[in-house]
Amino acid sequence: MQEILRKKKTEYRYVGKPVRRVDGYKKVTGRAVYTVDVDLPGMLHGKILRSPHPHAIIKSIDTSKAERLPGVKAIITGKDTEGVRFGFVETPHMPADMPPLAEDRVRYVGEAVAAVAATSEKVAVKAINLIEVEYEPLKAVFHPEEAMKPEAPAIHDVIYPSGRSFWQEWGVERDSTPQKVERNIASTLKLEIGDVEEGFGNADHVKEGRFETNVTAHGALEPHGAVARYSEGRLDVWLSHMGPYMKRYWLARTMGLPESHVRVRPAFVGGAFGGKIDLFDYEYIASHLSRLTGRPVKIVLTRREVFQATRLRHPMIFYIKTGVKKDGRITAMDIKAIDDTGAYRGTGPVVVYLAHAFSIPIYRIPNLRYTGYAVYTNNPVRVAMRGHGAPQARFAVEQQIDEIAEEAGLDPYEIRMINARERGDVLPNGDVLNSCGLKEALTRAVEDGKFLQKYGKHRGKGRGVGIGLTSMFSGAQFYPFGATGVVLLHDDGGATVFTGAIEFGQGSDTMMCQIVAEELGIDMERVSILSGDSELCPIALDNWLSGGTFVNGRAVQLAAIDARNKLFEYAAELLGVSRDELQAEDNVIYSADNPSKRIPHEKVVKYAIHRNRGQQIVGVGHATPVEGAYWYPSLTTGKGRFTGAYSFSATFAEVEVDFETGVVKVVRIINAHDCGYPINPVLVEGQAEGQGYMGMGQVLFEEVIEEKGTILNPNFLDYLMPTSIDVPEMKTIHIETHDPNGPFGGKEVGEGVIAGVVSAIANAIYDATGVRFRKLPILPSDILDALEGRE
Amino acid sequence: MKEHSVEIVVNGERHHLTVGSEMTLLEVLRDRLGLKGVKEGCSKGECGACTVLVDGRPVNSCLLLAVEADGKEIITIEGVERDGQLNPIQEEFIEHGAVQCGFCTPGMIISAKYLIENNPDPSEEEIREAISGNLCRCTGYVRIISAIKSAVDKYSMR
Ligand code: FES
Ligand code: FES
Repeated sequence: MQEILRKKKTEYRYVGKPVRRVDGYKKVTGRAVYTVDVDLPGMLHGKILRSPHPHAIIKSIDTSKAERLPGVKAIITGKDTEGVRFGFVETPHMPADMPPLAEDRVRYVGEAVAAVAATSEKVAVKAINLIEVEYEPLKAVFHPEEAMKPEAPAIHDVIYPSGRSFWQEWGVERDSTPQKVERNIASTLKLEIGDVEEGFGNADHVKEGRFETNVTAHGALEPHGAVARYSEGRLDVWLSHMGPYMKRYWLARTMGLPESHVRVRPAFVGGAFGGKIDLFDYEYIASHLSRLTGRPVKIVLTRREVFQATRLRHPMIFYIKTGVKKDGRITAMDIKAIDDTGAYRGTGPVVVYLAHAFSIPIYRIPNLRYTGYAVYTNNPVRVAMRGHGAPQARFAVEQQIDEIAEEAGLDPYEIRMINARERGDVLPNGDVLNSCGLKEALTRAVEDGKFLQKYGKHRGKGRGVGIGLTSMFSGAQFYPFGATGVVLLHDDGGATVFTGAIEFGQGSDTMMCQIVAEELGIDMERVSILSGDSELCPIALDNWLSGGTFVNGRAVQLAAIDARNKLFEYAAELLGVSRDELQAEDNVIYSADNPSKRIPHEKVVKYAIHRNRGQQIVGVGHATPVEGAYWYPSLTTGKGRFTGAYSFSATFAEVEVDFETGVVKVVRIINAHDCGYPINPVLVEGQAEGQGYMGMGQVLFEEVIEEKGTILNPNFLDYLMPTSIDVPEMKTIHIETHDPNGPFGGKEVGEGVIAGVVSAIANAIYDATGVRFRKLPILPSDILDALEGRE
Repeated sequence: MKEHSVEIVVNGERHHLTVGSEMTLLEVLRDRLGLKGVKEGCSKGECGACTVLVDGRPVNSCLLLAVEADGKEIITIEGVERDGQLNPIQEEFIEHGAVQCGFCTPGMIISAKYLIENNPDPSEEEIREAISGNLCRCTGYVRIISAIKSAVDKYSMR
């Protein structure tokens, strides 16, 4: 039984307050230990030899010279890992396609070919340089639209299942089948809602366009790394990652171990942004080498490897057609999305789905056709990056909305207000918007930025404003389908919270402690947390699923309530009052009816333990993203419930464009964001600002330049991220909508905002230049070319 | 590989070490002295995560050879706290929410310390300039800048 004692909001002590983060002290003193800081006794260092070719047959590998190098303890190649496969996506019809070490063929520059464990990193580097590989280069393809042509080289032929699929293990009764890859298409999503042709028939204005987005890099400051220690049939790993359960599942499966024998240990994570989700070659390789040598093995990637051989943001191409009535109502939209997913599937099928799924909560579109393809190329592999499909889709759709508004004689605010969704809307897949602050966010951003006073006033004269809307999920039905939280009460009335949710900078640990302190009525200093340990903590949604607050936070809240209920049982007994009249605050439990009846938590806990001879009070709670749904939506039809709550945001951006140099200066970004309820406003604002910064980078600077699959700028000198000098004024407006199913009404904040930022800046650049840019990034040279009428 | 003996003072403690000619100061600090608070983000002088003070000036320790540090005095993030008391910059970083993942933080704090101790009244431009070699991918810098502004006020009150 879960009972929720609702206090009035003004009475909250910790929740809703800008509480200092609980890991702040460790981080400002250099005491926080990250994976790259972990050294174990007897530890070896691993290095990976990577392919210089985008597509080639491996004819032979000669490791003999390297083997003779003193200090080399083990060398492995694809022969040693034959048949091992993993992947972000594995469904019965889409088998995992990625080997940890290439077997007979390499498909991208940077693919692992051989690996060494040695007594030092220097020896390991020397050793991989002594390995001789003979390749026979094959024809390669680097553009998804080229790759889809029948004459394009086939990157994968038939992909065979490497065991029971992930979903089968979790109850989907469908046998895994081999996938014959046609025209390099890794996956196809097709859906139609309403009658699109009829919708366009009813439209007064129709607009069509092609939009293209860039490959960007996550740029997390901590390079990817792993420390693995295999001993007595058990594997301990320290990883730089975003959630222990995806990692544990795939490590257990690929290493042939039971899950309980794989322990993902907690470590601080130096940034992730979607880029550290799925299993990486080096994580498996470190584990394998540790088993082989009987010693711990550490692998830390170089920055070049992080760029070339881990994961990048999906570049996408959109063909969009939108129809509206004279009054601005959207009658139909037809979207074709093409994703270049790289040489392995990565998250291709998911990003194609999400570009749709994160769009559908924004506008009411009665007739919609969406066709999406994830396409293999010989480029590096792509994965989620903040927003995962949303920045790509918003860049395209929000610009087309502005274009068609202009044609219809409406302003960008009006057309959005006419079409924006509201609370209570039911989406085509059955998801319900139980909270939705979209229109309020839009209105507040527009008012605060004085959008209507400024819009079009300096059209083509170097100053402009733009807006963009976005929405994001709050957790989905992906393994482990929800979260369990545990709260343990100690002798002194203090508490420890256990959660599988992981802290990677976003402030998850702090939020959890706030929730527990609030629900128990104890000081936050009395709450400690153990998070992200796959063995010691109960399961939670991996935090890349954006359910950190809504699902994992909710589970912890319910655990705290459960502990409090038990505490109140004993307090009622001791005070001789009824349980229902009890309140807890300031480490004291008291009767709300008769406040002189009071007792400290400490006494109650001690009483409970003593009376029951050692039975400690343990609160347990659990939560799931969508009640009544059991699986992730279909990646081929888009059918099925997705999430239990969407967050929304509206971004206002103001820019100045220098027509001499083409340089765009972002003057101001205002994000009005509906995260339901900001449990910690500073953390929420920090997320919004980080996305403002990153979104600006994506539009104006950032581009991974791939030349025949080789990244030409795999470092921070040439891959330009905005610095302290570039960041504009940023403001966050909190829109509180109190989702009924979120903890204290809270929902997602970490990744939606960026999509609004990207689209608002793009629209502002149009306002400033009078030119529509349909390709990211928008570089000074593009602006000068456009202004001078060059292609 | 040639070995050299060097003497460095790190956070007030004197160390005599034998180092290879290619060894960087960063490697000495992290791997030999166990000062893991000094972070390595790029190994190429591009991110500032490895910033330490060498004879009072901020230096990317990944770019400085250990032999070049011979005879020098070095302050790392581990040496910023005094007698169990956080430095005002550290305090304000926590207070303002200038820390997210924390990986840039040690280097960022060292750069801020150099700024404030050499320019007691920096303008916002000067603050932005002072940390422009320290990349932060999480925060968007706004809270780092405001934390440093507050730390400036606190320093002047000391
Ligand atoms: S590690 Fe030295 S500047 Fe990046
Ligand atoms: S806080 Fe993560 S890089 Fe600055």
